[in-house]
Amino acid sequence: MNIIIQNLRKNFGEKVAVNIDSFNIHSGEILGLVGNNGAGKSTLFRLILDLIKADEGSVHMADNTRDINVAETEEWKDWTGAYVDDSFLIDYLTPDEYFQFIARISGKNPEDLQQFLDKFQHFMADEIVGQKKLIRNLSAGNKQKVGIMAAMLLQPQILILDEPFNFLDPSSQSAIKHLLTKYNEETGATILVSSHNLQHTVDICPRIALLEHGVIIRDIDNKEGQAQAELEDYFQVTD
Amino acid sequence: MNKFQLYKLLRKNENLKERRHPMFEKNRFMKFLLIFMWLYYAAILLFMGVTMAMGMKGAYNGVAAHHVLDGWFPIVLLVDFWVRFIMQDTPVNQAKPYTLLPIRRSFLMHVYLLRSGFSLGNLYWGFMLVPFGLIAIAVPFGWITMIGWLLGWWLLCIANGFSYLFVRTLLTKHMAWLALPIVIHGAVIAAMFVPEHNWLDMPCTILLNAFANWKILYIIALAAVVALLYYANYLLQNALVYNEISKKEEVVVKNTAKMSYLNRYGCIGEYLKLEVRMRMRNKTVKMQFAMGLGIMLLFSVIMYFTNAYDGSFMKSFICLYNYIVLGMMTLIGIMCHEGNYIDGLMSRRESIYQLLRAKYYFNSFILIIPPVILMPLMIIGKMSVWMNLAYLFFTVGVLYPILFQLAVYNKDTLPLNQKLTGKQGNATQQIVSMVILFLPIGIEKLATLLLGDPWGYILLMCLGVIGIATHKMWLRNIYQRFMVRRYVNMEGFRASRNS
Repeated sequence: MNIIIQNLRKNFGEKVAVNIDSFNIHSGEILGLVGNNGAGKSTLFRLILDLIKADEGSVHMADNTRDINVAETEEWKDWTGAYVDDSFLIDYLTPDEYFQFIARISGKNPEDLQQFLDKFQHFMADEIVGQKKLIRNLSAGNKQKVGIMAAMLLQPQILILDEPFNFLDPSSQSAIKHLLTKYNEETGATILVSSHNLQHTVDICPRIALLEHGVIIRDIDNKEGQAQAELEDYFQVTD
Repeated sequence: MNKFQLYKLLRKNENLKERRHPMFEKNRFMKFLLIFMWLYYAAILLFMGVTMAMGMKGAYNGVAAHHVLDGWFPIVLLVDFWVRFIMQDTPVNQAKPYTLLPIRRSFLMHVYLLRSGFSLGNLYWGFMLVPFGLIAIAVPFGWITMIGWLLGWWLLCIANGFSYLFVRTLLTKHMAWLALPIVIHGAVIAAMFVPEHNWLDMPCTILLNAFANWKILYIIALAAVVALLYYANYLLQNALVYNEISKKEEVVVKNTAKMSYLNRYGCIGEYLKLEVRMRMRNKTVKMQFAMGLGIMLLFSVIMYFTNAYDGSFMKSFICLYNYIVLGMMTLIGIMCHEGNYIDGLMSRRESIYQLLRAKYYFNSFILIIPPVILMPLMIIGKMSVWMNLAYLFFTVGVLYPILFQLAVYNKDTLPLNQKLTGKQGNATQQIVSMVILFLPIGIEKLATLLLGDPWGYILLMCLGVIGIATHKMWLRNIYQRFMVRRYVNMEGFRASRNS
């Protein structure tokens, strides 16, 4: 599934949050979105997910058979999974209940859910399911894991994760990198990931967009991992 | 910085907190409405004070007018106590932002307790008492007597305020503490209304008369009670503020019932489970339910044991109130709790429609409670079965559709698991509440007047049945209108989250 962004503009008062003339994310791609704080990464994700209204322009999801403007229909929600922040979590449920809820409203049966959870055993590290803890009582890292897993539970064709490495311990960061690349290889899903962690972004994203004041100023090919130097130079990491 | 400067800074921050609350910042009408309501109730109290004083003058030969009013002061304190739930925050909550700063905790507690003790809110009843005192006491007995009498009232209000704070703080520990004021107030009401003569009349009159006559022992005794309540609050709040900052909610959930009997209803069943769990696991929502239940019981008990509500209008009102109060408590703020996780809901197809349906079914189901509570009144013949059936159907089929309209317009997130105080309803919610409480009675009375006795009730039932039969249609319409307004609502929910 392709994501097509056309003349997308969003201002908050005088501040330009997103200003993109044209940008296509191709089906099956893992796109990394990087930029400083306030560059507009989360706003762009929210615009793609129709959670805020664009001042101008549109976001389409399209393949050979369909071309859908996300602001005009809810059809795309059937194949899109996302986790932006904890406002995606129903925090008075336990993770088990939350996963069951998501699974059932998405038409998955209990066996599908169990298979899915089995795949994430290592990632969950015995701290999430079967704990009888409410999501609000989990650590920030474990909440992040629940959010990421719930987004993937749908087996979406488009997966959008805002700063998925935040709050995670190093082994979980490594695990999520592995899970995302494997998911992309197995399903051909389009994955959008934003992050401040340049190393992780470079490791998993063959294409990286650099955002500054809402504008995509560089569209970097990273198939051979060559984006690292360019990004370090931009962010002055080596200074 | 000395203590006085620190006090001034804390006071300034409290004022800014109120002034910069997102609900007020973006809602000028709300500001206007609050000022209007404040003036409106002040005017009502003023009117009551003047008319009571004029009416009682000469009506009770040999008894001073204020003695008649004094006999009823427990009712004033009772109203005062429950109104505080809407208006007054606890020192624990107020002190929370400062607890990790280098400020002595005891100092913070004293500041916030003294502020609540000397709050202007404790003088609000003065709008009724001062004009009453001027007419009924100052003129016949002199200024000194009036000032003494007002001092007594003021000390009682402060004591009441501290009692409220005590209970309100205990409620953060466990909901069961709500039983404490309910039992005490129930006993007070029983003592006043069940016997032929108000048992509290004499002691209340003696107490306030002693103040009017400046009997120093009484003044010292009441001041000592206030001081005791202050100290008890100080100890309790001081102990709990540490719990608040290092708050660890009970992490192991006791109730993890799978509610698998709801699985047969598919998606709706899942949203029903969500609704049930929201009610069971969040303090704010549990508190709303408990308050609704408390009010229902209180009204019913008063009606059962006394003749106070035996008039035709009051019978209708109490019956209606019992049926609508549980739904109204939560549906006035429909979607506001969901504002906490609105982004998650909005990223699922038609989730809001399913959620609305689940809410409708849940709120309809809980209407098995009012007939149980009202059963004794039906048995003794104070309320007819017809009336109950009429209001039951009318609530589900007409009043709920009206309340559900607010799902389109509500856009302020309400905290799920915090205090009840601090967020008032907006103008639309206030108007809808008024319509809900008086429209049905108007229709019933008009239909009865025009068509005869059972026909008013039958009309209400018929209207209700139409609403029930078409519920999917009007819920779909609400959902579609919600989707048209979704950006405005989501922005509002995000802006007011955690505020």
